[in-house]
Amino acid sequence: MSALLHVDGVSKYFAMGGLLSRTQTAAVRDANFRLEQGTPEIFTIVGESGSGKTTLARMILGLETPTEGEIRYKGNPISGLSFGAARRAFMTDVQPVFQNPFEAFNPLKRVDRYIESTAKVFRGITARADLDAAMDEALASVGLSLAEVRGRYPHELSGGQLQRAAIARALVCKPKVLIADEPVSMVDASLRMAIVNLLRTLRDDLGVSVIYITHDLATAYYISDRIMIMQKGRVVEMGAARQVLDDPQHPYSRLLKASVLSVTDAGQGNLEPARDLMEASRTALEHADASRLVEQGEGRLVRMAG
Amino acid sequence: MRAYLIFALKRLLQLAVVVFAGVSAAFVVAHFSPISPIETIIGRVAGQSSFSPTAVESLRQTLTELFGYDQPLTQQYLNFWSRFVRGDLGPSLIAFPTPAMELVMRALPWTVGLLTVAIIMAWLLGNILGGLAGYYQNNRPLKAFGIVAIGIQPIPYYIIAFLLVIIFGYLWPVLPISGGFAMAVRPAWSFDFIFSVLHHAILPALSLVLAGIGTWFLGMRALVSNIVTEDYVTYAELGGVNRGTIVMGYVTRNALIPQLTALAMALGGIFSGTIITEQVFSYPGLGTLLIRAVNGGDTGLVLAVSCVSVIAVASAIFIIDLLHPLLDPRVKVG
Repeated sequence: MSALLHVDGVSKYFAMGGLLSRTQTAAVRDANFRLEQGTPEIFTIVGESGSGKTTLARMILGLETPTEGEIRYKGNPISGLSFGAARRAFMTDVQPVFQNPFEAFNPLKRVDRYIESTAKVFRGITARADLDAAMDEALASVGLSLAEVRGRYPHELSGGQLQRAAIARALVCKPKVLIADEPVSMVDASLRMAIVNLLRTLRDDLGVSVIYITHDLATAYYISDRIMIMQKGRVVEMGAARQVLDDPQHPYSRLLKASVLSVTDAGQGNLEPARDLMEASRTALEHADASRLVEQGEGRLVRMAG
Repeated sequence: MRAYLIFALKRLLQLAVVVFAGVSAAFVVAHFSPISPIETIIGRVAGQSSFSPTAVESLRQTLTELFGYDQPLTQQYLNFWSRFVRGDLGPSLIAFPTPAMELVMRALPWTVGLLTVAIIMAWLLGNILGGLAGYYQNNRPLKAFGIVAIGIQPIPYYIIAFLLVIIFGYLWPVLPISGGFAMAVRPAWSFDFIFSVLHHAILPALSLVLAGIGTWFLGMRALVSNIVTEDYVTYAELGGVNRGTIVMGYVTRNALIPQLTALAMALGGIFSGTIITEQVFSYPGLGTLLIRAVNGGDTGLVLAVSCVSVIAVASAIFIIDLLHPLLDPRVKVG
C-alpha cells in the first residue's frame, strides 16, 4: 500500500521572546504517522491546548514549514507543492475546516460566493447551472441547501449553519483529505453530534480521510479509527482508537481519560479523581527527553522511559 | 432600496438637528461676547475726528437699530434665523459694510479646496501604503517607510509647516511661501491663474498631507496585520481565491470600515486645525478670515465662519454615513 499522506519525523520550533532572551519552543517534536491510499479513515489527534495539534495541522496544509522532517502527499514533499498548478492540485485534495465558524467567512461577502469561487477554481466549473448543482450537492451533504444559504451574509446564519457551510466549501473540491481542527468546539452541543456524524458519513460514503483534531475524548472514541495523543509537542501514545482509549498506557493518556466527566456520578462533585495521574503525567513530561515510543504490537505505540 | 432611502432620510433629519444646535450655540456664544461691535465702530470712527456727544449718541442709536440689538434676545434669535436661511448674516465689521457672508463665501473655496485635496491625498496614500505594509510585512521599502512614518507622525503640523517654509522658501527657494496666488496674475479661469493657485497650494497641502499620512499609515497597517491572521483569509488562500481579490476584497475592505469612520472624525478636527496652517502660509481661506475677525472684534463675521464650518463638517460626516451601509452589510439601514 502506498501512503496518501506521510508525516515523516516532523518537528517545528518557534523562536520566542525579544532580542535579548530568545528561546526556542518546540511546538511539535518528531511526529510520525501515515494515512494509506484507498482506505479512508478518521485519524484523531488528541491533546490539551498547546500540545501542537494545530501546528501539525497547519504544517500538513502547507501554512507552516517544518523545521525538521518532511510531509509527503502521494510521495511528493508538500514543500515542493507551494506554487502554481501543483499547489492548486494539492489544495483540491487537502482541505481544512477550522475551529471558529464565525471567523471562517469574510463578513462583507455572501456565504455562497465563497463556495462558488472554490468550485470555480478547483473544479473548473463555469456554467451557472453546473455551479449551482455542485454547490447544492456539497451543501446537501452537510444538511443544508443552496436555497437556505444563497444571498446570505455570515452574520445572518447561526454558528452551526456556518460551520456546516465551511465543511461544504471544503467538500465542493471533492477532497481526499479533510483536516478538521476542533470543528465542533464552538458549536452548540445539540449540533455537535450532527457534525461529528457528518465526518463519519464523509469517510463511509465519499471515501474522504479525515484528520480530526479535538480535545473531546467522547466524540474521538465515537468516530475514530485511529488516535494519536500528544503532550507538549510529543506523541505519547498512538494506535487503534478503541484499543487506546479502553486501556490507555501512558500516564497522560490516562489522565485525559480520567478527566472526562463520568455519566454515572456526574452530579456528585467528584471532580478530582486524577490527582495521582496528574503527578504521574507531570513526571512523565519531566523525563520525556529520555523517552522513546515503544511498539506494542498491532500498530500501537506508547512512549516509555529509556 | 426603500430601506436605504428611509435610512438616508433619517440621517438627513439628524443633520438638520446637528446644524440647528451648532448654529444656535454659535449665536449664543457670539451674543455673550464682551466685545460690542457697535462700540468698536464708534471707537474707530470717533477716534479719527471730533464728534459732539449727541452725534455719537445718534450714531450709536442708528447702529443699534441696524444690528437689531434694541430688540429682546428671543426676537433677535428669531430674526437671526430668518436672515440665516436667506444666507444673510449681517454686515461685517472689519470690512464694513461688506456682508459677512460675502467675505466667508470668498474665503470658502480656498479652504475647502485645500482641505479636500490634502485630506483625501493623506487618507489614500496612508491607507494604500499602510495596507500593503500590513499585508507584505517583510517588504523592506515599506518597513523603512513605517519607521519614517512613526518619526513624522508625532510632529505637530505647524512645525512641519515652518520646516517646509524654511526649506523651500529660504534654503532652496523654489516654492511660494505665502498667499493663494501670485499678485501679478488676475483671478480668472486662465491657465496662468490656475497654475499659480496650484503652485501656491503645494506647501500648505504638503504640510497637511505629511502631518496626516503617518496616522493613517500606522492605523491601516495595524488593522491589516490583524485581519490577515483571520481564518477567513487563510480559508480564502486555501480556497484558491486569487491574491488580488484577497488583498482588495477580503483584507482592505474589512480594514477600511473603521478607517472611514476615522476619516469622518478627522474632517471635523482638521477644519479647526487648518487655522494655523493658513496663518503660516497667509492663505486666503476661512482660517485666516477667522483670525482677522477675532482680532478685529467682529462677532458677526466670527458667527458666519462658525456657522459655515458647522454646516460643512456636518455635511461631510453625513455623506460618509451614507456610504457606510454600501460598504458593510452588517450596518442596519432599517
